Amino acid sequence: MTATIQTTAPAGATPPAPPRATRGRRAGLGEKSIPYLLLAPAVIVMLVLLGWPAVQVIAISFRKLDLGELVRGEIVWVGLDNYTAVLADPEFWTITMRTVLFTAAVVAGTVLAGLLIALLMRHLSGVVRIVVQVTLVLAWATPILATTTVFQWIFDQQYGILNKTLVKLGFDSFAGFSWFSSGASTMTVIGLLIVWQAVPFVCFTIYAGLLAAPKELYEAASMDGASSWQSFTTVSWPAIRPLVTLATFLSVIWDFKVFAQVWAIRQGGPDGESTTMPVLLYLRGIAGRHFGVASAVAVLMILVLLVLTARYLQLLLRSREADVS
Amino acid sequence: MVGVAAIALATAGCAGSGSGSTDQASNGEPRTLTVWLMNGSAPETLTDSLNKEFEGANEGVTVKYEVQEWNGIQDKLTTALGSQDPPDVIELGNTQAPSIAAEKVLTDLTGDVDALHGDQWLASLKASGEWDGKQYSTPFYAANRSVIYRTDMFQEAGITAPPTSREEWLDAITKLEAKFGSDPQFQALYLPGQNWYTLLSFIYDEGGDIAKKSGNDFKATVNSDQAKAGLEFYKQLVDASGTTAPKDNDEQNPEQAGIYGQGKVAMMIALPWELGTAAKDNPDIQTKSSAFPIPSKNAGKTAPVFQGGSNLAIPLNSKNADLAKDYLKLLLSDKYQGQLAEAGMVPGASTDLSALDANPVSKAMATASKNGKAVPATPKWATIEAGQNPLKDMMTAYLTGAKDLDTATGDANTALDAAFTG
Repeated sequence: MTATIQTTAPAGATPPAPPRATRGRRAGLGEKSIPYLLLAPAVIVMLVLLGWPAVQVIAISFRKLDLGELVRGEIVWVGLDNYTAVLADPEFWTITMRTVLFTAAVVAGTVLAGLLIALLMRHLSGVVRIVVQVTLVLAWATPILATTTVFQWIFDQQYGILNKTLVKLGFDSFAGFSWFSSGASTMTVIGLLIVWQAVPFVCFTIYAGLLAAPKELYEAASMDGASSWQSFTTVSWPAIRPLVTLATFLSVIWDFKVFAQVWAIRQGGPDGESTTMPVLLYLRGIAGRHFGVASAVAVLMILVLLVLTARYLQLLLRSREADVS
Repeated sequence: MVGVAAIALATAGCAGSGSGSTDQASNGEPRTLTVWLMNGSAPETLTDSLNKEFEGANEGVTVKYEVQEWNGIQDKLTTALGSQDPPDVIELGNTQAPSIAAEKVLTDLTGDVDALHGDQWLASLKASGEWDGKQYSTPFYAANRSVIYRTDMFQEAGITAPPTSREEWLDAITKLEAKFGSDPQFQALYLPGQNWYTLLSFIYDEGGDIAKKSGNDFKATVNSDQAKAGLEFYKQLVDASGTTAPKDNDEQNPEQAGIYGQGKVAMMIALPWELGTAAKDNPDIQTKSSAFPIPSKNAGKTAPVFQGGSNLAIPLNSKNADLAKDYLKLLLSDKYQGQLAEAGMVPGASTDLSALDANPVSKAMATASKNGKAVPATPKWATIEAGQNPLKDMMTAYLTGAKDLDTATGDANTALDAAFTG
């Protein structure tokens, strides 16, 4: 590829030198610089749109920036004050633990459910499989807040279909049961909601991996008398392992910073018992208008996320062929 | 990160602002006065004639009038106030006003109070506009809740006159239940667990409040005996009324007007225009409804009410502060305040409420409004309302039995104190 493009290498204003003498070196330079030039537009766009705000957030986290400072355009450096304020609040550690546990539970639920449905889909006949796939796509395509509203209706204290169904089934204690009166049950409902929305993507990703596993291998396995568990561990699993890892990694990032659903359900209540780190960030930044403190929370969130995904990042950096498994 | 982009954008907007260039354009040069009022506040007929009159009186001035949505206004104001070219007149929710005043981003109007009809201002809205002994925003209009009820149902149940005491109110509920109770969907009073505006009314009626002011600091008083008595009465009302409203949500979720509109509810505690919302689904209901002020524990009196409403302010960076003051003067004049009253709102700068008497629902509101109070005028209150409101948690916890009275009020008191100082 490079051989044909090399003539377009940016020679700048330099007049073409006598071909023979320097050709080898110039070609080498061109060959080396072209990939970088081709990457440059994307890199610049990413630096401007992602890098610069990130640098800003880190800088703001060392400033006192409330509405007054913002309007007057003042820059007030306060060193680590924002961080000490956030870290000194015992509530912060509770919220961090809650967020990490919540993320772990939701990711485990999502990946497990996605994996099981993907395995199921491989065994389904054509029509049924298409029905399942369409259903998954619909669940995935429904706007986040629309699904959230539906879930709120399902779990509504008086009019919710869940309570009514449970009462019909004979569980009379669920008449007028409030699912949102304790932090634990509120988090459970939010968790179910997020798993519901996240499963389709994970499921399709893993299913794609399963399709890539050659049929002959399954046939060979069954001829050798392998049980279905054995054919899963020896044939399916090697094919889908990289994808499961990838889906887990992405899910950790997405579920850790999920905000809209948590806020929409109960604004982090009752008594702040379903407040996660993104909700804390919102409370400090948007509701409280302490942008400096909020930025400190944001930076701490990035650090926690780095710790959570460290293993994957390590694999990613170590493996040259990006064969992450 | 959710907030990251928002924060970065907000700060980008402020770069280099604040030099405060208030040099005024020379006379005759065309100037534009930007006015932001909120959706649903001043009716269009009012603003049209107001802007016309103002442009006529000030040569070369164009009024750029823009209607803003309440949804997301806090973020929009934050960005706008930080810009080089902010609007010249803004409307602020009265619970939001102190937080903006305390940041010192509004023009000090202390010297102009008299010129802006300060003698007729509504006390609760005046208090919302004050910070640190100075006046940063003026009253605009107010509204408060009253009990909207079905006249036909009251008649059928043999209730001859609207209740004027708590006892009569509970008595009316009993009569309504006796008459219509066989219908499982019937509710004598629709009252969700987190209608904290109504709770405030009961607490004020007991002689209590949710916080006490000393200097610029506030101390929560939700664990006082009066506040406890108010919460107890709320529970009594919820239990007596047989309401099926959620105990863990407020009057907006689900929207109570919609439920009233279904015609199976005899009373709701609501703002006057909620009846209009109910009538959208069920046009008949408008003529079958009237209103009475929230009854007091002291027979014959009306309970004090939480007064919601709006203030008007001039951003500090406004380049037309002089014009903006003239604009406020006109808007707060008797003429336009009278038009606000005709539209069914309690005018903020006029003590003349006669225009409200024409409609029974507005009349009930006007009667109660004379005894109106606002939430603590602390900059922290906006954070409480935009974030997590401990009063709501307290109400749900007590009504569902998750906490007893002392624990529920004690926890809310601690949480409010933390919010006041945080």
